[in-house]
Amino acid sequence: MAAAVAAATTAEDEARLLRLEEQAEHGGGGAWEYLCLARRLRARRPAHVLRVGLALLNNASARSGLASEQWTLYEQVAMAAMDCQRLDVAKDCIGVLSKQFPGSTRVARLEALLFEAKGEWSEAERAYALILENNPFDQIVHKRKIAIAKAQGDMSIVVDYLNKYLELFMADHDAWRELAETYVSLQMYKQAAFCYEELILAQPTIPLYHIAYAEVLYTMGGLENLQTAKKYYASTIQLTGGKNTRALFGVCLCTSAINQLTKGRNREEEGSELQSLAAEVLLKNYKQQAPSKVPLISSMLKNMKLS
Amino acid sequence: MAEELVLDTAIRDWVLIPLSVVMVLIGVLRYFVSKLMRSPATSPSPDPKLVKEGQVVIRARNLRTNAQFIPAKAFKARKVYYTNEENGLLHVPKEEAQKAQAAMFSDPNMAMDMMKKNLSMIVPQTLTFAWVNFFFSGFVAAKIPFPLTQRFRGMLQNGIDLSTVDVSYVSSRSWYFLNLFGLRGLFSLILGEENATDDAQKMMQMGGGFGFNPTMSLGAEKDSLDIIQHDWALPKMERHAEDVLKQLLKK
Repeated sequence: MAAAVAAATTAEDEARLLRLEEQAEHGGGGAWEYLCLARRLRARRPAHVLRVGLALLNNASARSGLASEQWTLYEQVAMAAMDCQRLDVAKDCIGVLSKQFPGSTRVARLEALLFEAKGEWSEAERAYALILENNPFDQIVHKRKIAIAKAQGDMSIVVDYLNKYLELFMADHDAWRELAETYVSLQMYKQAAFCYEELILAQPTIPLYHIAYAEVLYTMGGLENLQTAKKYYASTIQLTGGKNTRALFGVCLCTSAINQLTKGRNREEEGSELQSLAAEVLLKNYKQQAPSKVPLISSMLKNMKLS
Repeated sequence: MAEELVLDTAIRDWVLIPLSVVMVLIGVLRYFVSKLMRSPATSPSPDPKLVKEGQVVIRARNLRTNAQFIPAKAFKARKVYYTNEENGLLHVPKEEAQKAQAAMFSDPNMAMDMMKKNLSMIVPQTLTFAWVNFFFSGFVAAKIPFPLTQRFRGMLQNGIDLSTVDVSYVSSRSWYFLNLFGLRGLFSLILGEENATDDAQKMMQMGGGFGFNPTMSLGAEKDSLDIIQHDWALPKMERHAEDVLKQLLKK
């Protein structure tokens, strides 16, 4: 219930964000409100933020009206500028900030980020190492270091860093998710499965984790894994109210794979009619939404002996 | 009842008002002094062990509450990982537990912080109390415009040992105490909501300073992990999924 309420308010906020964006872009005022809302929602709309924010910064009277809030604006604009590869703007903003707050960690982070944006990896790493010396538990900096490794394409180092990070901050599920995806990309499915289990433990009602776990298990193969995978596809169906087509396909594929493995010897699964139900729903959905593909789907289901 | 006491207006001008003004000024001064003395950068570098233990507890709690969502094999592996007696994450050796307790009390940083807090509270209070006592003791400083019962005598007539004086008269020392505890609202107006120098809250902090002990919560978490039964919820969810699909087909 609470989650539903939260979702509703975020949707409302997002609508408001877009409305304010429209208004601010066309000089209708509300620029500062838009930027505040974007910051609060952590919306990543760099091009708009850059345009609106820069206009506000260049307007001296508006800027001084913000008083001490203007530094936040500088930071926001710098980030947006880096996202848009407007490195000159970012550099100017960061220069102002570092003059205002010499020795600040937050500014140091921005400076390192600028190195990253320029692609000067070793410089960026040195800057991050310097921050970590003073504050070894800066989660953002740790994550940036992982991001650098990822940007350089060195996946084994990414895995290494992520594991070190998770050893310390083991309740950070975003990091678990990143690690899971990295393992999948490296085809290390056993490890990926562990990560997805961890994610399911942390947030058991998110269907995305269930289906990702099921997919990893299905990819690994083997009777036991396939049976487990089918169960997790089923839980995804339950959590999404049967709206997830991928999960429906998953149930069908798992069933046919299990049947192939057991060659019909294992009859204990017969009690369940999940697969035929899933096939029916699939067929119905295709009839409603993509009638031209119905022959394809029905022949596929026939091959799987599900209809 | 004794006849009305007439209070000299000089008492109002030289006792009542100066006392109140001084109390307010001292409160403001104390706020700035304690702000100066507060150690810079609230917690410069938390102990890595503490950080890690906090995270372990969160993760173990997740496992305990949501265990039914992962397969039995995965659950067993995790349970062993957390609770085995050699190097489980939640296992705390006996001597280490005691050491942690001892370290808690001997941590110089923490003691220093508390000292500073207390100093900024106690020193000005003693000084002002001594000052009030020296200059203003024995005055009847004000009169409350409504009658009160005898019970209030201790609160309002501190420093006057006369039982015949009507209770609605306030002695100067009591006026000091009333100011000391009653100015919180004014401070929150002057210094901003959260900046009010709240004596009562400080007292609370002093008592609860030693409250959180991660090693203890590690042990508690281990015990509760040890006793839970794993009951996989997925087969049940499979049946629910069938119902969901049947509903969809009916539409």
